[in-house]
This record gives sequence, structure tokens and C-alpha cells, in this order.
Amino acid sequence: MEMFVYIALFAPLVGSLTAGLFGAQKKSLMVGVFASGMLFTSFIASLLLLVQVLQGHTFHVEMMTWIKTGDFNVPFGFVVNEVSVTMMMVVTTVSTVVHVYAIGYMDHDKSFNRFFAYLSAFVFSMMILVMSDNLLGLFIGWEGVGVCSWLLIGFWYHKESATWAANEAFIMNRIADLAMLVGIFTLYWNLGTISYEGIFATVGTADHGMLVTAAAFLFVGAMGKSAQFPLHTWLADAMEGPTPVSALIHAATMVTAGVYLVVRMNPLYDLVPEVGIVIASLGAFVAMFAATMALVNRDMKRIIAYSTLSQLGYMFVAAGLGAYWVALFHLMAHAFFKALLFLGAGNVMHAMSDELDPFKMGGLGKPMMWTFIMMTLASIALAGFFPLAGFFSKDLILEVAFVGGHPILYTVLLLTAGLTAFYSFRLVFLIFTGEERYKLFGFHPHEAYKYMLIAMSPLLVLAIITGFTFKGGYYEMVTALLPAGEYHIHNPIVYWIMTIGTQLFVGAAVLYAWIKYKNAKVDKKVEAGFFYQLLFNQYYIPKIYDEVFSKPYAELSKMCWKLDNTVVDATVDGIAHVFYGTAEKTHTMQDGNLSSMLRWMVIGLVALIVTAVIFIGITVNADAIMKLLGH
Amino acid sequence: MEITLTHYLVLSTILFSIGLIGVMRRKNLLMLFFATEILLNSVNVALVAISHYYGDFTGQMFAFFIIAIAASEVAIGLGLLVLWFKQYNTIDLDNMKSMKG
Amino acid sequence: MIEHILSILIFFPLVAGVLGFMVNKDSIRAYGIAVSGIEFALSLLLWYVFDTANGGFQFTELMPLIPAFGINYQLGIDGISLFIVIMSTLITFLGILSLTEKRDIKNLIITLLALEMTMVGVFVSLDAILFYVFWELSLVPMLYIIGAWGGPKRIYASVKFFLYTFTCSLVMLVGMIFMAYLYQQATGQWSFSITEWYRVVLPMNLQMWLFAAFFLGFAIKVPMFPFHTWLPYAHGQAPTIGSVILAAVLLKMGTYGFVRLSLPLFPDATVWFIPVVVTLALIMIVYTAMVANAQKDIKQVIAYSSVSHMGVIILGTFALNIEGISGSVFLMLGHGIVSGALFLLVGVIYDRRHTKIMTEFGGLASIMPAYATIFGIMMMASVGLPLTINFVGEFLSLMGIFKVAPMYALVGGLAIIVGAIYMLSAFKKVFFGNVTNPENEKLKDVNRTELYGLIPLTIIAIWLGIYPKPILDPIDAAVRENVLNIMYQKIQTDMGTEAARELITDPYAKKPEIVIPAPTKKHATQSHKSEGGHH
Repeated sequence: MEMFVYIALFAPLVGSLTAGLFGAQKKSLMVGVFASGMLFTSFIASLLLLVQVLQGHTFHVEMMTWIKTGDFNVPFGFVVNEVSVTMMMVVTTVSTVVHVYAIGYMDHDKSFNRFFAYLSAFVFSMMILVMSDNLLGLFIGWEGVGVCSWLLIGFWYHKESATWAANEAFIMNRIADLAMLVGIFTLYWNLGTISYEGIFATVGTADHGMLVTAAAFLFVGAMGKSAQFPLHTWLADAMEGPTPVSALIHAATMVTAGVYLVVRMNPLYDLVPEVGIVIASLGAFVAMFAATMALVNRDMKRIIAYSTLSQLGYMFVAAGLGAYWVALFHLMAHAFFKALLFLGAGNVMHAMSDELDPFKMGGLGKPMMWTFIMMTLASIALAGFFPLAGFFSKDLILEVAFVGGHPILYTVLLLTAGLTAFYSFRLVFLIFTGEERYKLFGFHPHEAYKYMLIAMSPLLVLAIITGFTFKGGYYEMVTALLPAGEYHIHNPIVYWIMTIGTQLFVGAAVLYAWIKYKNAKVDKKVEAGFFYQLLFNQYYIPKIYDEVFSKPYAELSKMCWKLDNTVVDATVDGIAHVFYGTAEKTHTMQDGNLSSMLRWMVIGLVALIVTAVIFIGITVNADAIMKLLGH
Repeated sequence: MEITLTHYLVLSTILFSIGLIGVMRRKNLLMLFFATEILLNSVNVALVAISHYYGDFTGQMFAFFIIAIAASEVAIGLGLLVLWFKQYNTIDLDNMKSMKG
Repeated sequence: MIEHILSILIFFPLVAGVLGFMVNKDSIRAYGIAVSGIEFALSLLLWYVFDTANGGFQFTELMPLIPAFGINYQLGIDGISLFIVIMSTLITFLGILSLTEKRDIKNLIITLLALEMTMVGVFVSLDAILFYVFWELSLVPMLYIIGAWGGPKRIYASVKFFLYTFTCSLVMLVGMIFMAYLYQQATGQWSFSITEWYRVVLPMNLQMWLFAAFFLGFAIKVPMFPFHTWLPYAHGQAPTIGSVILAAVLLKMGTYGFVRLSLPLFPDATVWFIPVVVTLALIMIVYTAMVANAQKDIKQVIAYSSVSHMGVIILGTFALNIEGISGSVFLMLGHGIVSGALFLLVGVIYDRRHTKIMTEFGGLASIMPAYATIFGIMMMASVGLPLTINFVGEFLSLMGIFKVAPMYALVGGLAIIVGAIYMLSAFKKVFFGNVTNPENEKLKDVNRTELYGLIPLTIIAIWLGIYPKPILDPIDAAVRENVLNIMYQKIQTDMGTEAARELITDPYAKKPEIVIPAPTKKHATQSHKSEGGHH
């Protein structure tokens, strides 16, 4: 069976390298098909591993030594256990779907082959991230997905905004990666190992302060990748990439890596509840914060991106409160319906010649019925209506907050659930119902290729059934590794009031969205208002970052350069000039006139004699002088 | 009044100073030679006086050496001087600048 | 034969270079490739016969040169120097192989071979005077390369390079002579042998002076802030091949000097100087990265970036633990490969456009895809992406310094952020966007000659990132044996450096043999003498 571990891991790499070989050549459908086939292979291997794991076998393979010096020894080791296999399933499922979908989506792009090389490379990195048995291996994947994300956001590199966003994403992630490295260092020097097994074995007896430091730094690393405040701005900008990329990387897999890290390191985070509560609070804040930004945005993909951000906040709440399995479950459910939502958005973009403003659409439900249905169902799942996936995963997080005794978190999350329903249906209504405004702008929408829709269908099915079919089995499986915890409200009346109440609240939000946006009317007065402007400009945070970090950094760089030229280098040149200048000034002494040379000789003689006299005087009278100086 | 070592040394110093000033001030090469001779002889006076004072003949021997060397030096120097004068028709120091740095 | 392999390695390029004068102009290139290829093969042979499990010096040669002053022709190699030697020969080989220079190629190749001799010489010398001679000799060919094949301001750049490094090396020479004098005072014999010096334990105040003298010589070469300003000029004016060798090998002499001489000779002073040196290194990392960010010339970006990365090497070296030092030695190799490749890459567009100003370019990714790909890989290696060669070294170096003080690692780690900033923005300016300059539209992608140099470096950069073990193991053994072991034996706890023992934790019991007592106060010496008189 170990063979399957390697197949699951390396099949995407094979696909990527093969596609890369054809990277500079003309578009070839075979490349896309081959890469997708490799992904499917990886998916099958993961599935077989899942079956094994369900039967209670886990796998741990060590491929070879990577870095070994002194006591530090890190191998390329991979582990397939209950948690990692869940992630493997999510990653391979979504990426297979996205690969097939991308064959259609990137059909007209001349860099078709290159796209598949990057996309498969991303999956490979993600698999390393998920399967590694140590933190440094995770870090390989962590940086690897970062690079692939950079490549894919900047895929259309002729666009200034795309390359800018790519660099922003990479650099912001690097900031977090530094924190992550520091976390790894802390663990290594204190526990002497960075393999999960080793850490978990020794973490119980370790110094608490050290654990807090390590956990906090690792979480900062997770914040970067999962785009938590204040490192969140890159995610929305990352929507410059092709839509399949947004679906795979910036919704389903890479951005959830941070959550995965916290879940994976659960024995560590269990010991530091004070960090946990910070994580949960930040998560709740981000959930709300991102949802508000999604309310008013006029860019379809950005709205979905903010929604992703918001859902990541939910996951962190669960993870921070110790309900790791809930976090992982929401991660899984979210991956399915959010990827579906993005792919649906991709269809719309395709139909509308890459138009992103939903106010220019409307009434697309007719020409694009299947997309309409899929996006609506995905939105229902996202909003958390019974019995779709979101209901089971998201409401569970609400319950976790409630049962855990965090009423504030609960309230924030509940309100956010309403906001979520509002903005997702605002989007659906604006795009698919009402007047056919697109005609004004001269678009001719058409439904996507059939195989793209078929490719999306597994996600649709999963978005619908994940909740009520998998939850039990999933719980059984992962609690072998993660702390089990049933977050049930024991009082049935409270339970039903809460559940139905939530459903009604969410429903009301959808209704409000319908009333407000069925005609896509824009209230000029509201738009001019302070709050609208605040939200529309993303709380002015990108602007603030630009003013506070980017521009001063550029200025400072220029100053440093100036300093380098005018002070550091000038000092060196100055020293040289002193010598040079002295020579220039004094070479007149050597004027060849015997008379003046003799004069200089006499002066030199006198100077020497005087020095000698003074020196001798000091040495002879040293004791007297010392006495005079008070010694 | 007895003539002591001090007197000799004072004489030597005065001679040395005259010689030194001569070396510095004179522009005529011939005069420079004279000044050099005065310098050397001031040293000779000091050497002989101190030698006598200590009763050690080394100093006097040195004086003889210096006299001998000074004589040969003047011989060579005057030879060169005559050569120079024949060629340039002057022995003014300010004209001798071929060693300018 | 095989026991003299080090001598052969040193003198083969020189002899071949002199013979090169007789080769005619058309075949000199092939001749150069053949000679440097054989030299590279010889260095690989050295690796093959090298006992990687042994951390001590191997293939030692000893021949008295000036016995009265203990100056010997002493050579030897260990895991630290082995790979730097191999890298030197490799870079020279690839440099000549992918040489695109047209002007006066005969003299250039002969100069390169002479330079190769001095580079190998520095890294295999075990005698301080021999080391110094090669050290200074290496300036001459480089001076000639910059001065003869350089850009418009080449004379200024080369003179600056020469005077700057030469002046401070002289201070190091004074330090060496003083060290030998101290040795003579203690043993009655002169010796410049580094392995002999390893046995000497010096009092703290002498260590400090000597450390400072050696530090000056090495720091200029590294180049450490604030002594770095010669480097951008040298790189800016040097021809591609000059920059490649300068960045890849010559800078390593400085960091190699720290590992080979400063640390084992003056352990207490090293510990005492950690805060100073590390602070300079941290300033160097962040400051030069910011300067790099402000550059308009792509070659200057890479020049400053290489200064910034050298800072990380210094951090690792002064971590004084096996992870840090091994990591820093490994990073020397990584930096050599990566910065060498980056300078080669810059040479590619310079050859085509005769400009290095970034705004002149833009959108090259679509015109030169293969070039963009290799540049991208090397850029990622340069910013320390895992599974590339630089990551291993950078990670270990930073981890090492973390042990000394977490704050150092945190600030030093900024390297990975600021590095990404200037590299990515430079990459964006050159490769992304639309082609705005019509001159760029017809640029040819990398040709075969250029690929000869770039492909092997790319492969090495990735191969050693994935599987550093064959190189890391011997380095590890050598660092243990020739650095940490000696430091541990010699370090003195009663001189206000109690922290030193905690830092250097490898337990070795052997005691050093030559201990030079601290010079005592005047009165104490006198009383000592009077006591002696009584006996």
C-alpha cells in the first residue's frame, strides 16, 4: 500500500513536469488531459488510502534524508493518517475537478500548457504540505504553494494588476513564513525535534511559555496563508488570477492550509488555550469583517473571495476553541461549495467576456440555467440552509461557540451568518435574475461547455450531501486522532430554538437581499454614505498599507541608497582623498631646490629632536607625572 | 678664568648654529660648502672637547675621520661645482632644480 | 601521484595558463575549456578519493620554504574547503564554457586560469603565509579582468577594489606575523602553520587584537557593512565572467577565513565579538536589501543582494553551533552557485541589449521564455525557496543563530522578506508587463553557449536543495573536527566568557598544548623576576 502514498504524492508532479516540458509550445489538449489524468490517479490513490485508513491502517513512509547536521535530522517523511487523508481527499477531489474544468476554461489561452504545469505543481506542493510528517516538510509545501500561487496569480503577466497582486501575495506570505520559521526554531531548540510525532511526544512536559511562543508564531504563519487580518489584503487582490486558480487555490485548498496547520498541531494548541482564544477571537473578527466588505463590493470574484475569508474566520473559531474536527469538517464542506461557487463564477465570466461587475449582468438565469442552479445551490450551502453541507458544518461552529461559553463569539458568528446569506444571494440575484442588463453593454452570454458542467457536478453533489452523509463516518474517523467532542446543546428546546432561529434569520437575510436587489436598484444616498464608502474601500486598509508600508519602504530604500553613496562610500573615498590631497598639497616640497630641501631637512631634524626630548622626558619622569595625575 | 668643557660646547653650539643658518640661507653653492665645513668643524670641536674631558681617545679619532672625510668630500664637491659652473655659468642653488618632484 | 593532488590542483591551471600563450587565438577557447575541464575533473577526483567520514585534514603536504621563520608549503583539505574548491573549479569551468566575451579572449582565458590557481590555493593552504600570498595574488587577475574588460568606469572600480581589499589585508598580515611572534615567544620556534596555531591558547586581550586584525581583512572581502561599497562598483564595471567569479568564489574567501582562522584561533574573542559582528551582519542583511530595492540597474540589484545574503552566512558562522556553521558553509556553496548563475543571466541580456537598466526591458517573459524560466528558478533559489540549494543553508544558519539569541534570528530572517521584495519587483520589471521597447521585440532566447553554463548550475541548485546529504555530511564532520572541537578545547571560562562554554557544546576532552599566559602588570613581572633571582 505504501506504493499508493507515493502515487498520490508524485502523480501531480509527473503531470506538472510533463506539462512543463511542453510549456513553451503551442496549446495541446493532450497536456491538459494528461495532467487531469494524473490528478485523477492521485485521487484514486488517495481514495484507496482512505479506505485503508477507515479500516484502521495508517501509513508512515520515509523516503530519504533531507537535511541532517549535528542533532538536526529531517527526512522526507510522509504520513497518511485520519487527518491528512481527509485533506488529501479534499485536495485531490477539488483539483481533479478544477483541472478538467480548466481544460474548457483555458481553451482559448495561448499559455494553456504552462497553466497546467503550474496548476499541477501547486497540487504537488499542497500534497507535500498535507502529507509531510514534520514541520519542515510542511514548510516545503507551504512555500511551494506560495510560489505556485505567485505564478498563477500572475499568470497573465502582461497585466500590471495581476503581477502586482502576485508579488503582494508572495511577499505578504513571506512575512508570515518568517514567523513560521521562528516557530519551528523555537520548537527545535526546546524539544530537539520537529517531527509531529516527536513534538507531540514531548510537548506535554515542555515549558509553557515556550509553547505559547511557538504556538503564537506558528499561528502567525498560518495567518499569512489563510489571509487573516491584518495579512488579508492579498487574497482579494489574488482574484486577478484565472478563475480555476481562484477556485482551487484561493478558496478550497491553499488558504485553508493555515487551518490545517492548527488542526494538525492540535496537541500543541490544546496546551495553550490562551493562544486558542486569541485565534478564535481573531477568527470571529475576520468572519464579520470580511463579510461586511462582501456586502457592497461590485466585483463578483472579490465578493466570493471575501466570503472565503469570512469562512476561514469560522474555521479558526472552531480550531481556536479546540473543536478541531469541526474546523476540519467545515474546511472540507467549504472547499466543495466554495470551489463550486467560483467555478460557477468562472462560467459567468466566460459568458460575459471577463466582465466582473454583477450590476452589468442580470437575468443570466435564462441563458445559463445550469450555472444558475449550481451557483444557487452553492450559495444555499454557503448560507447554511438545511440540509446542505453548510448547515451541518457552519451551524456546528455556532454551537461550538455557544457550548464553549463564548456568547460574544456566538453573536458575532450568528450575525455573520446573516450577512453571509445576504451577500451570497445578493450576488445570485444580481447575476441571474431581474432585468437583462447585460444587453445594454452588448454581451452575448452562453452556457459553458458541457464537460465543464459535468466536471463541476461532483462538487455540486458533494456540496449537497457532505453534511448528512459523511458527517458521522468522518467524525468516527478523525476523532481517532483529534480530540473528540460532541458540541450538542443538551436542552432540546434551546437546541431547536437556536437551529430554527438561525434558519429563519438566514432566510430573512436572503429575503432582504431579494427585495433589495431583484431590480438591481442602486440607492445613491446609501452609496454616498460613510459606511458604504468605508466598506467599499475595504476599510481603506489597502490604501493605508500602501501609505504606511509600501511607499515608505520605497522611500527608505532610496534613502538607504543615497546614504550608501553619500555617507558610507563617501567616507571610504574621503579617506582615499585625504591621502591623495595630502600628496597633491605637499609634493611642492620636493621642488628640487637644494636650498629649500635643506630647510625642510632642518625642520625635520628639529621636529625629531623635540619629539625625542619630550618622549625621554616623559619616560624619565613617568612616576612624577603619574603622581601629578593622581595615581 | 679656566676654560671648561662648557665653553667648548657653547662654542660648538654657536658654530653649529652659524653653519646651520648658512646651510639654510645661502644660495651660493660655494657658500654652502663653507657652511657645511663650519657645521662639521663645530662637531669636531665638541667631539675633541668631550674626548679630552673623559680622557677617551675615541672622540678625537672620530674628529680625524671627519676631517679626512670632509676634505675628500670638499674635493669631490668642488670638482662637481667647477663642472657645473663650466656648463651653466652659475652656481646659484635656485637654478639647480632638475630633481624636482 | 594522488598524494600530491592538491599541488597539482593549484599549479596545473598556472602551468597550463603559461603554456596558453603559445596557443593560437582561434583555439584558445577550446584550450581554456579543456584545461578548466580537466581541473574540474581533478577536483571531482579529489572528492572521490576524499574520505568523507574523516573530519580532519587530508592529502596534507609539507615542504619547508623558509625554515628559519617556520614558513612552509603546507597544504591540506577538509570537508569545509573541499567543496569550495570544487565550486571554484566548477564555476571557472562553466564560466569559460559559456564565455561570450569577444575582446582579447586569449588574455582573458589565461587570466582566468591564473585566477583559478589563486582561488584553489587560498582554500587548500594550511600555512598562513601561503594563505596570505594566494589571498593577495587573487587580487591581481581580478584587477586585470575588471580593468581590461570592464565598463566605462572600470579603472576607478578596479583601483578601488584593489586598494580597499589590499589595505585591509595588510592589517591581517600584521596580525599573522604577530601571531607567529607569539608562537615563537611560547615555543622558541617560528611557525606560520595554521594547524600549529590551532594548538595555541591566547590570553583574552591578545585574542581581541588579533581577532580585530583578521576581522578587518576578512570583513572587507565578505564584504561586510560598512566595508561593502567596493563591491557594487566592481560588479557594475566587471565583465560577466568577472562578476560571476567575484560573487561566487572571491567573496567566499572572507567567510572561509572566518571559519578557518578566526573561530578556531580566537574562540574567546569570537564569543566576545558576537554581538558586534552579528549586529553588523544584521544591518548588512536589511540595509543592503533595501539598497538593492532602490536600484535601477539589474546587475546592481544582484550585487547588493549578494551582499545581503553574505550577511546570513556570517550569522550562521557566528552561531558557533554545528547547525549554524555547517549551514553557513553550505550557504557559501549555495550562494556561489546561485549568484554565479544570476550574474550569468544578467550577462545574457547585457550581451543582447548593452544595457542593464530595468526600465529598458519589460515583458521579456513572452519573448525569451526559456530565459525567463531559468531566471525564475534562480530567483526563487536566491530568495531561499525550500528544495533549492539556498534554503538549506539559510535555514540552518538562521536556526543556528536562533540558539544564540532569538532576536538575531528574527531580524536576520527579515532577509527572506526583503529578499523577496527586491527580487520579485526586479523580476516583474524585467519580465512582466507588455513589451514596450521595440528593441526588445526581436531579442533571441538563450543560446546554446549560455545554456552550457546555466543548465548545470540550475540542476545543481535544485539537486542540492533536495539532496544535500553528500555535501552536508563531510562539512558536518569537518566543522566538528576542525572548528568546534578546537574551539571547545581552547575556550577559557575564567576570562569573562562563561557564556562561551554554553554556546559551544560539543564535548571533547583533549586539552590544548601551548598556552600563552596573559601578560601581567609591570609590578607583577618584576616580582616574578626577583623571585627567579632567588633560586
